[in-house]
Amino acid sequence: MGEFLQTLFVGLRLGSVYALIALGYTMVYGIIRLINFAHGDFIMVGGYTLIFTVPLMTAAGMPAWMAVIIAILVCALVGVGVELIAYRPVRKKGTNMTALITAIAMSLFLENLAQAIPAIGPNPMVAGTFFESGGFRVAGVTLDYTTIYTIAVSAVVMLLLYVFTQKTKMGRAMRCVSEDKSAAILMGISVNKTVLTTFAIGSGLAAVAALMYIAQYPSVYTTIGSLLGLKAFVAAVVGGIGIVPGAMLGGLVIGLVESFSTAYISSSLTDTFVFLILIIVLLIKPAGILGKNVGEKV
Amino acid sequence: MKKKLLALLLALCMVFVLAACGSETDSDAETSGGDSGEASGDTIKIGMIGPQTGSNAAYGTSMLEGLQMTIDEINEAGGILGRQVELIATDDRGDATEAQNAFNNLISQGVTLIIGSATSGATSALTNLANEEGVVLITPSATADDITTEDDYVFRACFKDTLQGSIAAAYVEQAGITRVGTIACSADPYSSGLVNAFISACQERGIEVVEQQSTATMDAQDFTNQFTAMASADVDLVYAIYYYNAVGPFLVTQARAAGYDGIIMGADGYDGALDYVSEGADYSAFNDVIYTNHYDPSDTSAAVQDYVTAYSELYGTTPLCFAALASDCMMMLQTAIETAGTDEASAVRDALSDTSVTYEGVTGTFTLDESGTPIKGAAVISFAYDESVGGLDGLGTELVTTISSDEIA
Repeated sequence: MGEFLQTLFVGLRLGSVYALIALGYTMVYGIIRLINFAHGDFIMVGGYTLIFTVPLMTAAGMPAWMAVIIAILVCALVGVGVELIAYRPVRKKGTNMTALITAIAMSLFLENLAQAIPAIGPNPMVAGTFFESGGFRVAGVTLDYTTIYTIAVSAVVMLLLYVFTQKTKMGRAMRCVSEDKSAAILMGISVNKTVLTTFAIGSGLAAVAALMYIAQYPSVYTTIGSLLGLKAFVAAVVGGIGIVPGAMLGGLVIGLVESFSTAYISSSLTDTFVFLILIIVLLIKPAGILGKNVGEKV
Repeated sequence: MKKKLLALLLALCMVFVLAACGSETDSDAETSGGDSGEASGDTIKIGMIGPQTGSNAAYGTSMLEGLQMTIDEINEAGGILGRQVELIATDDRGDATEAQNAFNNLISQGVTLIIGSATSGATSALTNLANEEGVVLITPSATADDITTEDDYVFRACFKDTLQGSIAAAYVEQAGITRVGTIACSADPYSSGLVNAFISACQERGIEVVEQQSTATMDAQDFTNQFTAMASADVDLVYAIYYYNAVGPFLVTQARAAGYDGIIMGADGYDGALDYVSEGADYSAFNDVIYTNHYDPSDTSAAVQDYVTAYSELYGTTPLCFAALASDCMMMLQTAIETAGTDEASAVRDALSDTSVTYEGVTGTFTLDESGTPIKGAAVISFAYDESVGGLDGLGTELVTTISSDEIA
């Protein structure tokens, strides 16, 4: 029982982080049909921002995790910058495919740029702790505070995001643009502004994910976003890419699959199971678990 | 159409995996010159391959520092056979492909005596190349059993995993522990080789291995589930073989958080882990973490103390075992070149193959066996947290015991 609970918590904790990252993929895909492969590297940007700003925060007498506010701003800026400098010009001239290749290029560019910055370099950096250690004992297992915060924060963030997309004007605009871009323009919605807001929010979420991930695994390196981003992308596809609740569900599914296959099958095969789930879901329901199979509009 | 799109997505997944790999391996091995500067035909060229960047960077930088110090000392004392020694250092990032690139890079510069690499994974990619090219390769710290064989050009300054695993098992028996568990990365020769050696040595000694867990890579970040299993299997000691980059920030703190409070035992890869402990973590988690190592820096013998003093004056830190072992590699090469009377690779190799030569190094006095591996004992070292000092400074190491190779047989 204790082992089952521990595995469940590990899965939920990982899944919460995947869900936060998957939201970034799904929001951008939903609105401009672009798989933003550079999204994983926004986590890296967030991670390094946290490492460099935590000393400023503690010097100012604030708790270390407050540095996430700066990280959100920096990530949002990088996200908006990438859209303005790379994606938008390419989208205007080229096809979806060119935009996709640009995204891969941006991903490699960000990773290598980070390596080239002397303060970062190619070697991993160790982060300090963000939350106090310790936790509750439940049924013989320790549920540490970092795990509780990770699950709680991502649940709150996802709830806020859901309310934002359903109730606010900008949220409605996002859904409109994602449904029909030209109709949205006719309704007086500024598509460019909406796309920029989407990038800012998605990238900001990556900073929150970075905080939660580094609080658990206190090591930051330039390729931190590669596998993490890939798994979150799988989560987004499994849940149904372009659908906000789908990303949340997909993240949790992938996190739980990873944790339970580690504990009960074989940890050497964990990643195999993650990608196996992807293939199975795509075979049974190609649009993802929550995806609706609508015909392509011509 | 939707299906096509998703097929495309899957294909892109794979492309991205490849692209991610590419980004780690695509840059050329960097070459930095040795201290003697001019590459005249008169110098003896020694190549070094080690991870100076990447997740095992602490090993390679230690190697380079130790080697550079020893070569400077040799050059000041007049060189080898009256010739100055020139060090050509390359970076393999702890990666097998990069190690081969670095190797070829050194060959193209006419180097035939090479010290490297630090990890078993990278070094095992070089052994065939060294034999094909007729290049002497001495590894300071690759402990996997099959690195050295009889009649080859590969030697080392460290013990091999069968011995290191037996030493660990001997310690476990001495400590009176009867229930143990293991965690290994099955895809890595160092981790799986050592754990297998430990398990078979345990069986010989009547120690029960009740739980075996694994991870997919050496860079694994989450050990919670593995240690939860250890806690519920009620073992007293877990033999977990990873490198410092996983041990310092992740493994130990997660083990304690998962409710495992027994002994965690590792091997030489734990050396340097304390530099990677997250600030503000529960430092007392590092009590009861022990590992076998090639030497103990607090050893009072003159050889160790002279070395540690010289090294810390020069670099301001205590040398990791990788520095000491790299210096021992250089000492072995020096002895062999002087015996052979030339720096020609095949003659040096013949001199190294002589099993009657006794080497007196920083990491002990030893002879080489038929395959070119030293027969020597190990130090069992423990991490310890001193609460009266507090903070990261309170974390240190202390010697538990030393186990000589005689105690294994």
